[in-house]
Amino acid sequence: MPTAASNVNILVFACRWCGLIGADAAGRRRMELPASFRVIPVECAGYVEPDAVIRAFASGATGVAVLGCHVGGCRFNDANHPALKRLELLRTLLDATGIGGDRLLLGFGTAHEYHQWADTIRAFHEHVAGLPSMKSWLPAAVATGER
Amino acid sequence: MQNMTNQKKTVLVVGGGVAGISAALDLAAGGHRVHLVERGHDLGGQVAKLDKFYPTDHCAFCPLWTEIRRCKESEAVTIHTLSRVETLEQAGVRHRAVIIESAPVVDPALCINCGRCESACPKGVARPIWEHAYPPVYVIDRDRCGDCSACAEVCPTKAIAFDREERKVELDLDEVVWAAGFDEVSLAPMKEYGWGTHPDILTSLEFEAWKAEAGENRGKILRRSDRAVPRSIAFIQCAGARDLRLLPHCSAVCCMHALKQAQWVKRRTPEVDCVILYTDLRTVGRDYYEYALRDFDGNGVRLVRGRPSMIYPLPRGGIAVRYEDTSTGKREIRQFDMVVLNGNLQSTLARQPDPGARPDLGGEGFVTPASISCGFVMEPADVTESAIQASSAALRSILGTKG
Amino acid sequence: MTKIGVFLCNCFGEIGGVIDLESIRKRLESDPAVDFVTVRESLCMPGDAAEAHARIRERGIGRVLLGACSPYGRMEMVRLALVKEGVDVRTVRAADLREGCAWVHGKDPAGATRKAANQLDMEIALLQNMRGSKDVAVGIQQEALVIGAGPAGLSAACGLARLGFQAHLVDRGTAPGGMLNMITRVYPTDVAGPEKLAALVEESRGNPRIRFYGKTKVASVKGYAGDFKVSLAGPEGSTSLRVGAVVLATGARILFPQGLYGYGKLKGVITQMEMERQFASGKPACRSAVFIQCVGARNAERPYCSTICCPLSLKNAMRIVDEVPGAKAAVLHRDIMTPGSVLEAYYRKALHKGVQFIRFDADRPPEVRGDGQVSGVEVFDAISGKTRTIETDLLVLSTPLVADPESAALARMLEIPVDGHGFIAEVYPVHPVETRNDGVFICGTARWPVSSDQAIAQGEAAAVKAASFLGRQTVSALAMGRVPGAKLGHAEADAGACTGCGNCVAVCPYRACRLQRTGNRSVSRVIKVRCKACGSCVSVCPNGAMQIPEQNYRVTGEMIRRAFREVR
Repeated sequence: MPTAASNVNILVFACRWCGLIGADAAGRRRMELPASFRVIPVECAGYVEPDAVIRAFASGATGVAVLGCHVGGCRFNDANHPALKRLELLRTLLDATGIGGDRLLLGFGTAHEYHQWADTIRAFHEHVAGLPSMKSWLPAAVATGER
Repeated sequence: MQNMTNQKKTVLVVGGGVAGISAALDLAAGGHRVHLVERGHDLGGQVAKLDKFYPTDHCAFCPLWTEIRRCKESEAVTIHTLSRVETLEQAGVRHRAVIIESAPVVDPALCINCGRCESACPKGVARPIWEHAYPPVYVIDRDRCGDCSACAEVCPTKAIAFDREERKVELDLDEVVWAAGFDEVSLAPMKEYGWGTHPDILTSLEFEAWKAEAGENRGKILRRSDRAVPRSIAFIQCAGARDLRLLPHCSAVCCMHALKQAQWVKRRTPEVDCVILYTDLRTVGRDYYEYALRDFDGNGVRLVRGRPSMIYPLPRGGIAVRYEDTSTGKREIRQFDMVVLNGNLQSTLARQPDPGARPDLGGEGFVTPASISCGFVMEPADVTESAIQASSAALRSILGTKG
Repeated sequence: MTKIGVFLCNCFGEIGGVIDLESIRKRLESDPAVDFVTVRESLCMPGDAAEAHARIRERGIGRVLLGACSPYGRMEMVRLALVKEGVDVRTVRAADLREGCAWVHGKDPAGATRKAANQLDMEIALLQNMRGSKDVAVGIQQEALVIGAGPAGLSAACGLARLGFQAHLVDRGTAPGGMLNMITRVYPTDVAGPEKLAALVEESRGNPRIRFYGKTKVASVKGYAGDFKVSLAGPEGSTSLRVGAVVLATGARILFPQGLYGYGKLKGVITQMEMERQFASGKPACRSAVFIQCVGARNAERPYCSTICCPLSLKNAMRIVDEVPGAKAAVLHRDIMTPGSVLEAYYRKALHKGVQFIRFDADRPPEVRGDGQVSGVEVFDAISGKTRTIETDLLVLSTPLVADPESAALARMLEIPVDGHGFIAEVYPVHPVETRNDGVFICGTARWPVSSDQAIAQGEAAAVKAASFLGRQTVSALAMGRVPGAKLGHAEADAGACTGCGNCVAVCPYRACRLQRTGNRSVSRVIKVRCKACGSCVSVCPNGAMQIPEQNYRVTGEMIRRAFREVR
């Protein structure tokens, strides 16, 4: 069980179909997961744009995960496919900016694969915990919650 | 033609699987009243139990969750679970049905899915209902219960009661749609298949549950005998089916079902040798033939045309399958670690002994055109065909025409 | 802006046993956006929703936040119960504090509490910043267009008519019936084609609810679900129609086996259709017949099974044996495709009648013998391993149904996708006659090769689905989601900011975005009834002009900012 690490703040964009149902199934089975991630449900992984991911890194996230349905399984008729391509491209840019492309996780699965969901979260937590701390883009005021 | 559109019908749909749910929703959308009778704890039928369904290779959530939710939220559909048709009489053009409705031990209106009953039960009889139920609740199998009431004591919402009475529901109906689906028929009488002689000789539905992602092995492909990874699995087609001794019909879904299972095993554990022993590889349906041809860069499922004559456990472990490989003309005896038997599916109505509780059946146990039916009870059919038949059955019951 | 009322559920200790609800309550009460915070033992028990609603009304709050369980279970039922009490469902949000928090972080109550606080903050941000999509009520035209009057189209039109709707039935031929009119015996009941269709044709004739347009094609279709503007081109010129639903039932074509097995070169090598004509004209002129299956099918070019050819050969082979004294019939096949009970029994019937079945493998096809006239077929019998020569003076080739290019053109007009073989795909296996374009239905062999019985059943299914759709009479764009009643909202382009780049038009899976010229600019306009709120357009919009009001940029941005805020 990974211990809480203060440098692990993972923002998960999860589509509310395959993306979130795996979480739900893991929850029903009381699978223990690190409390380092927060979830923003979206209709489809296709909604997630590179700008949102960058914004997440600029707002305190040290890892971003985008979880959606398998390509071919998207209920919005493959709307997740361009998202996958777009975000893979972003990964290259993240490397170039020094944030690091390995702080972005793209996970596409099916609703049944709850243990994979759990393993993915745990593994990503471990991975991010092992990375050197990110250069902070946050002015101190934002970090403490004041406007 | 008489304008039937203003007359709203009350229709009994027997069976809450894909076919029954589809028919019920079509009827409800037309403003008709539906009584949906389901023998199990929840809607979903056989497809709900599948780990994956073809041709999408995805789980049953997408096809079922939305449709079940719509059924449950529809004011036009009254759902009777743990229910069965006791009698059905024709009264002129109408039908009178008596439904026996059992109440579940765990009241789904009160169950919050906390699972304290499961922790408290000494016999492991309390379990979660199926994976994608809406809403998810616990069920207690009364038959295996030891009557200790430990569960009732820990239940925070007092949802558990063992003394709920059966209810008799009398219905006056315009039409009846039979959508009662299929069951597996025991292969024990057919000794050559060896079912029951070894834990690693399973039927296809047993294998489906055993290998399920959401099952006890979390999707790992393992032998039932010792939980080791098998080196080889033989999928035997037409077991019990296309066989005048047991089931003369072709069960229609098994070739694709075996391909789905075998291909999944190859993707999950590529080193397992998967062989399908078939007679005719029936891949009729959109993209099914291409599905069968998928070979995962040369490490695909091996398709061998031949029927086995004998399947038996070997004294030092493993299972022997004796068959003729018709492409070489040679008889082979090969050892496999697991054998999956496909084919033994029969309409649930064919096994209903009481003629007063079912429609007229043809010689092979399927519903004749004299009654309105859809899905497997009408003809062995997959999800797509069943859904089409269900809509067609809905239309015929709205118009009062037969098949 | 109205304040937010917060209900936190203890869930009989399932949530409160891990998460410190008291500290969360105190924290939320100090949030200026929050009016009150109540911690309750449950939110989903009988009577809870009424009590909650009483509190909501008493405090006059406009938005509700629940801290409860999973959205796939009882929490959703709580939202619906509140809706029944009169609360606007779009103003109720919830954070999953159970399956998503307490149950997965049981060993880290402090971490779980921090997470719960953050997730609730994020939902507050959403409630504060979300806006409502403008809804549009679509009046649904109460008439339907059925394109194609074969068994599928006839069945659909008759079904629609019987359900009370006007059907416009269009066919490029002179009379309804299609290919089935030419078949003298249809399997498995052995009824003649026209007889099979007779009841449907009779019903369509003189039916005030079915208007038949012979020798007519669809020239154009514009519009969308509920309101399609159709232009027909017929012998009397063009006709304009406005319909609420379109059923595509344009059928398929049969492949001609040109160049295969001596067709066109040897006499006596014919297609199944030509076999039909021989039966129709009296006794077929042959002493025996050999049928070859999968001619031009289940190969690299057409890797599909055409469903009907095996039963078709069984039917014709049995007929040869019945009608030509002393005749023999043999079927050379790679698999006999007779799934189910009825077709398998049909196969057994053929076996009992003495029809011979010889299996060959794809890589070793039969060879035709003959000089000017077919004299026999040499086949490597894959079961016995022996090469056999079967003498015959008639060789019938089973060829597959292939997609009609006109169907593909119509599909493009109707903005629905065509698969790799030219057939038209349904949106999902459990919705086999519905397409990606709401209000457009597909049935019969234009969809996929099927028998006439199946085509008729599909026509009935399309009729029921189309009638259900038309029967709603008016529907709101927000009700037309991928999951009925659960649509998030719809995308909307700010005309002032939109640069007309067209990214959204390209990426939308539903063709819901259009560029419209206003003055000397192009701006994007979203067809609300088509939009499913997947968000693809939002993510490709270069300047944020395109947004979904319920989850606009401010919402997402604020949720991101609050996700890891310090919890004191």
